Amino acid sequence: MWESFGFEFVNFYFIPGLVLGCIYALGAIGITLTFGILRFANFAHGELMMMGAYLTWTIMAIATAVLGIAVHPLLAAIPASIVVIYLFFWTDKFFYKPFRKADTIKVVMASFGMMLILRSAVQVIWGPNQLTFVPGIAKPNPSLLGWSSDIGAMLLIPNKHLFIFAGTILFVVVLSYILNRTRIGKAMRAVSDSPDLAHVTGIDVDQVIRATWIVGGVCAIAAGVFLAMDIQMLETTMGFRMLLPMFAAAILGGIGKPYGAVVGGLVIGLSEELSAYPWIGDAPLLSPGYKTGVAFAIMVVMLIVRPQGLFKGRSF
Amino acid sequence: MKKILFANTLIGMLATTAVADVNIGNPMALTGPIPDLVAPMAQAVDLAAQNINDQGGMFSGGEAYNVIRADSACDPVAAVDAVTKLINVSSVAAIVGPVCSGAAIAQAESVSIPAGVVTLSVSASSPAITNMENGTDLVFRTAASDAYQGVALANLAIAKGITDVAVSYANDDYNVAIAGVFSEAFTAAGGTVTANEAHEPSKASYRSEVATLGATSDNLALFAYYGSGGITLMRNALETSAFTTFIGADGMLSDEVIDQIGSENLGTTTFTTSASDPTTKAFGAWKAIADAAGVPASDPFVPNAYDATFMIALAIEKAGSADREGIAAALREIASAPGEVILPGEWEKAKGILAKGGDINYEGAAGNQDFDENGDVAGLFSMSSVVDGAWAATLIE
Repeated sequence: MWESFGFEFVNFYFIPGLVLGCIYALGAIGITLTFGILRFANFAHGELMMMGAYLTWTIMAIATAVLGIAVHPLLAAIPASIVVIYLFFWTDKFFYKPFRKADTIKVVMASFGMMLILRSAVQVIWGPNQLTFVPGIAKPNPSLLGWSSDIGAMLLIPNKHLFIFAGTILFVVVLSYILNRTRIGKAMRAVSDSPDLAHVTGIDVDQVIRATWIVGGVCAIAAGVFLAMDIQMLETTMGFRMLLPMFAAAILGGIGKPYGAVVGGLVIGLSEELSAYPWIGDAPLLSPGYKTGVAFAIMVVMLIVRPQGLFKGRSF
Repeated sequence: MKKILFANTLIGMLATTAVADVNIGNPMALTGPIPDLVAPMAQAVDLAAQNINDQGGMFSGGEAYNVIRADSACDPVAAVDAVTKLINVSSVAAIVGPVCSGAAIAQAESVSIPAGVVTLSVSASSPAITNMENGTDLVFRTAASDAYQGVALANLAIAKGITDVAVSYANDDYNVAIAGVFSEAFTAAGGTVTANEAHEPSKASYRSEVATLGATSDNLALFAYYGSGGITLMRNALETSAFTTFIGADGMLSDEVIDQIGSENLGTTTFTTSASDPTTKAFGAWKAIADAAGVPASDPFVPNAYDATFMIALAIEKAGSADREGIAAALREIASAPGEVILPGEWEKAKGILAKGGDINYEGAAGNQDFDENGDVAGLFSMSSVVDGAWAATLIE
C-alpha cells in the first residue's frame, strides 16, 4: 500500500501542498486582518512579504561579510521585520490614513500604487536579477528518513520544510493567544466585528490599526521568508505571485477571520498540488499548467455559494 | 495672440525637425524572468549606436542615432505598453527588440504592425513569428527560429544516447513552440517522448509536476525561462531525484542556474543556444569591437543585438530618411547580396558607399543575416554544459 500509493502521494503531493498551504496561510492572515479591521484589500501585502525576504537576505549577507558567520534566515528575519513594520507604519500614515474616511476604492487604489512603488524601489536597490537565498539543493532530513523508513513509511522532508511547518504552527499558536487572551487582541476582534460599536465603547482605534499592521506584517514577513527558504531564491515579483492565491485563501476562510485564513490557506495550497495527482489512471487529474486556476475556481465558487466564507466572515 | 502662439509652435516644430536625431525604440526585458541574459544584449545595442555616432552619425548632417530604451519585462502586456509609448510618444522610426517571443508577438500584432513600424527582434525565436505578418513585411529577426533549434536539440539528445525523455514546458509562446518542435523532431529521430506536460511559470513549487513526469523517464527536457520557474523546477527535480539527465534550450542558459543550484549538481545538464561561428571574418570584427568595449562577445544573442541595431541604422541611412515606410524594403536591400560586404563596425565605409548610391551587404556578427521571405535568418547553435563551475559552449556541427 505504502509503496504503490503512499510514498509518492505523501512526499510529492501532500507535503509540498502543505508547505505551500502554510505560506498561503501566513500571508492570508495579514490580508484578512487588514481587510477586516482597515476595511480594504491591501494589494501591497505581497510586496511586504517580498521586502521582508529581501531585507532578511541583506542582513544574512551583511552578517556573513562582516562577522563571517552564517545566520539562519529565521534569526535574520527578526531585525528585518522591525524595519518592514516601521516602513508600513510610515506608508499607513502618508498613503492610507488620508483615505480612511473616503470610499474604499480609493484606499485600494492607494495600496495598488504602493505595491508598484515598493516593487520598483526593490528593483532599484537590489536590481532586477534574481538573488540566491540559499545555494545548492536541499536533501531530505536524514534522521527523519531513517526513522520513517524503519516503520515502513519513507518520508522525504528536507530541513527547510520542517522549519516551515514548525514556524507556521508557532505563529498560529501565538496569534491565537494574542487574539483571544490579550486586551489588544480582543480590541482587534471587536473593531473587526463592528468599528463603530468598538469606537463608542472606548477602544483606541488607532492603536488597533497599529497592532493590525504589526500582527499582519510579522505574519507576512514570515510567509515571505518561508517562501524564500522554500524556493531558495529571491525575485521582485515573488510576493505578487502569491497575492492572488492568498486573497483566495482569505475569502475562502471568511474575511476578518484569522483562523479561517489559516484553514483557507491550507485548503488552497493542498488543492493546488493535489489537483495534479493522477487520481484516475496514470495522467494527472488536471494538467499542472492549470494549478493556479484551482485556487480561483475555489474562490469563485465560494463567492457564489457562500460569500461569507467557511468561518462566517464579512461578505461584501 | 493665438496666431503668434501658433506661429511660435510651428517654428518650434520646424526647429526640432531641422536638428532631429534619428530615434529608434528598444524594448528590452530589463526586468522579468531573464534580466541576466538581457543586460549584455542591451550593452551590445548601445555599443552599436555608439560606433555609428563615433563614425559620423546618420545622413550627411551627421545626426545622432538615438536608442530609446523601454522595459518590456518579457511580458506581452508590458511589451504592448512599452512599444505603444515608443511609437506614439517617442515617435521612433523602428523597433529593435523585444527579447521574448510572447512579448514580440503581442507588440507586433497589436501595436507595431498596425502602426506600420518595422520590428527587428534580437532574440525572439518562436516559430510562430515566422508567419505572423499577415501580408505585411514588418517583422524581422536576427535570431534563428526555434524551428531549427528544437531539431538541433533533438538530434543532440539522440547523439547523447537518450532514447526516452519527459518534456516539461512553461506555458508561454516561446517555450510551448520550442517544446513542440523538439518533441516532434525527437519522435521522428526514433526517440520516445514519455510525457509532455505544460507547467505554469513562477510557481513556488513544482514537486507534483516533477513527480508525475519523473515516473515516466529519467531524462527531462525542460523548456522554461530560468527566472520564472525553470530553476525551481530543476531544483525540485534534483531534490526528489526524479531525473538524472537534463536538456533544454536558451531560456535556461544563465550563470544564475549555476549560482543557485550549484555546479556539482549540474554534471548531466546540457542546454543549447543560438550561436555564432567564431571563425568568420564578421565575428572577428565584432569580437575586436566587443572586447575593446568590455561586452561579452559570445554570450547568447549579444552579437544578434549588435547586428539588429546596426542593420536598422543601415536601413534608415539607405532609405535616406527616418520615415517609417521605406525602412522594411531598405532593410532587405542592405542585408543581402548584391553589394559590397560590410562587417560589424564598418559604419563609415557603409555610409560612404550608400552616399554614392552603391549597394551594401551586411554580414553580421551572429551570421550572414540574409532575411528569407518571412524575415527570418538561418542560424547556428551551440551546446553548453558545466565545466569547472561555468558554462562551456561548443558549436553543434
